Amino acid sequence: MPAGLLRGIFVRVGALPFLLVAMIILFSAANRYFLGLQNVIDMLQEGVFTSLAALGQLFVLVSGGFDLSIGANIALTSIASATVMSGVYAAHSHDPMLAITAGAIAALIVGGGVGIINGIGVAYLEVNPFIVTLATASAFQGATLLISQGQEVGGLPKAFVDGVGSGNWLGIPVAAWIALPLILALYVLLARARYGRYIYAIGSSTGAARVAGIRVPVQLLLTYVICAVATAISGFLLTARVSAGEPLLGAEYTLTSITAAVIGGASLRGGEGSIGGTLLGVVFVIFLSNGMDLMGLSSNHEMIALGVALIFAVVLDRQRARAVSAGFRKRITLYGDHRSSEET
Amino acid sequence: MAEIATGGVEEREGIVISLLNVTKRFEGVVALSDVSLDLHSGETMVLLGENGAGKSTLVNILIGALQPDEGAIRVRGQTISNYSPAEARRQGINAVLQDFSLAPSLSIADNLFLGREPVRFGVRDRERIKAESRQALELLGLSIDVGTPVAFLDRAEKQMVEIVKALCGRPGVLILDEPTATLTEEQTRRLFDIISRLRLERWAILYITHRLEEVRRVGDRVTVLRDGRRVADYGVGKISEERLISDMVGRPLSVLYPPKAKALSTRVVLRTTALTTRNGRILDVSLEVREGEIVGIAGLVRAGCSEVARACFGLVEVEKGSVEIGGTQLARPDPRTVLRLGMVYLPQDRRGEALALGRSIEENIALEALASPRLSPFGIVRRALVHRDVRAIVERLNIRPRDIHQAVLRLSGGNQQKVVLGRALTRSRLVYLFDEPTAGVDVGARQAIYHHMHALCAAGAGILFVSSDLEEVVHLAARVYVMHEGRIQAELEGDEITAASVVRHSFGLSAGRESTHRPAMGSTPRAAV
Repeated sequence: MPAGLLRGIFVRVGALPFLLVAMIILFSAANRYFLGLQNVIDMLQEGVFTSLAALGQLFVLVSGGFDLSIGANIALTSIASATVMSGVYAAHSHDPMLAITAGAIAALIVGGGVGIINGIGVAYLEVNPFIVTLATASAFQGATLLISQGQEVGGLPKAFVDGVGSGNWLGIPVAAWIALPLILALYVLLARARYGRYIYAIGSSTGAARVAGIRVPVQLLLTYVICAVATAISGFLLTARVSAGEPLLGAEYTLTSITAAVIGGASLRGGEGSIGGTLLGVVFVIFLSNGMDLMGLSSNHEMIALGVALIFAVVLDRQRARAVSAGFRKRITLYGDHRSSEET
Repeated sequence: MAEIATGGVEEREGIVISLLNVTKRFEGVVALSDVSLDLHSGETMVLLGENGAGKSTLVNILIGALQPDEGAIRVRGQTISNYSPAEARRQGINAVLQDFSLAPSLSIADNLFLGREPVRFGVRDRERIKAESRQALELLGLSIDVGTPVAFLDRAEKQMVEIVKALCGRPGVLILDEPTATLTEEQTRRLFDIISRLRLERWAILYITHRLEEVRRVGDRVTVLRDGRRVADYGVGKISEERLISDMVGRPLSVLYPPKAKALSTRVVLRTTALTTRNGRILDVSLEVREGEIVGIAGLVRAGCSEVARACFGLVEVEKGSVEIGGTQLARPDPRTVLRLGMVYLPQDRRGEALALGRSIEENIALEALASPRLSPFGIVRRALVHRDVRAIVERLNIRPRDIHQAVLRLSGGNQQKVVLGRALTRSRLVYLFDEPTAGVDVGARQAIYHHMHALCAAGAGILFVSSDLEEVVHLAARVYVMHEGRIQAELEGDEITAASVVRHSFGLSAGRESTHRPAMGSTPRAAV
């Protein structure tokens, strides 16, 4: 019976809750600071950047696509916004807010542009998203290096670096306060808005979406823009964290975002995934890297662990899909009187 | 059931392969029931049957792609227990199916020798491959350069290569599944020459067709399948086409159907004028559906029936002609505009087009209606309202399970089809296009679906439905358009709608008084022998 219960939870929510509990036990046994207040706040700070990128990736995965240009987007945003910011700040050093605003606008423009380019490639030129974003990733990386000449861009306002980058309010990092309404907005878009229904339908069956009168290309374009803007905001906040525009910033976020979304229940086949699940997936990757840090393992070890985790997540995803369809045959009558958790 | 007639060809030779009392079920549905069949060396057996009669299942069992649930397969007198595609090839069972098995980027020669390339000094012996391929092609009177990539060949040529490939295997049986469907008369004649030569070389041939006139041209014997049963077996010399037709379709009248929904007025809700699609699958199709009327489209596979509905809805590109919905004329329909004008399409391909399978009943039913500001003001879904609407539809259609958050994937075929219907019911429409409304649906659900179609018409809507189920066409439609090779072959009404007349017209045989509609440039029916 307990085995059956565990299996039920696995089918319903996946393996993630089990893994998280295991990780908390393992890492806090290895280092008592793992659950200490300061470390939790550090993880929250890092989690903000990962969350925005992973949620953007989630939207694209739900629509049946893929975004490999997330890392390149972060670097381009970082360089572009830092360049604008330091330029404006040099001219108006009495008004740091003006410079920060200009930098934020630059980040949003970069994000919007990246999204439109990816979206046109996927939705209108109908090229495989894997190829489109692999190609644009290379192009964006090249543009980043051209603009920056491979150099860091410094001279950012102190208010940006100290405030947005490492400031706290009520004990919570400022970046988290900024990200919170954004995450809520993404939740509303995916779970409550008509748009969300549409991209789930497109990801599940493009043909069915078309027959229902949905303008598939428009919705797909919008999806890539949402992903790229969320990622660009993450890149902007990261720039504050590292206190400079960096041409090689954020490369790991492509892999991290996919890992978090997939381990959180998003399907590579499209049409599946949730905000809550992805946020749990983010907790997983943050636990993994932070926990390994505390155990004194290098970031090289983390990269290995993350790669293994991604494969593991994909295998689990398939196991779960199988368990769901196998369970269906046996429990077909049971579902008739099963009450849903989402009852209104 | 008709008794199985026997007799025919006098001196018959050895049996190459036999099916003995074979039964095959798919998820409870019987596809083949207790079928026995012998293929004799030096004889051509023609296999006839309606769509869904079990012909493909039978072929797939013969080539080892499907295993029978009951019964046995005997090759040259020996029962074979582990019959697989590899075993079938070893036994000399070769098939040319409708889906070709050629690799488009490889040359003809490489395709012919794929997987059994002769090796010389450790590498492929390209000279030998070419020489032997050239020889094989010449045997069939083909003069194509064997180095040509298969992608450059037209369908008839590909088919010839496919046949040559089949003949390169061990001799024994050659199965041809509707080989002439896309061939010209000249190519057909050449194929028949090849078949008669193979017969002389003692091959056993199983020839599957939809064309009755071919029975006499190539066949020695003919077997008719109906609803998965072998209902007749004749020598071709003794049998009339009328008899074959009645064997193929003779079913008892059913009480499944509501009374026929005839037009309530002369008001036309859907009209197509000389509709021709870019892909050429339909040509000059003009039809109309009136208020309150159920109109059927019938025809053989690839006659273009579904294509008409898809073109009306804007899923296939229209080249010429127009579609008129409730008085608004469209030269280039697209789903969004068509839906706005009040016409909805219920696709036959539940997996690909009708349903987002992984999503819930609620999401699927509400998907199209969500666009209305009532259900999603400012783009935010009013979930309570949507749930209420969807629950009402689920009740009305008696969809099981009642839980609207259940993924559609988990529903039975009948309930999935009801969900498709449910989406069309979210608001009232002028025209409903049903594409195979009851394919894969059990009798109970069928009856419910017919009942709902009837109710929609009583409320003033018009229905155009496409069906390969002859019985359904005959008993449901107040008028029927019969299609043949992309064109409307006949328009039948009232008493003219009989299974025999629908079948005759769908085979392109237009003789008889039913023929009220003859397109000016209609395809000439092939000469009946």
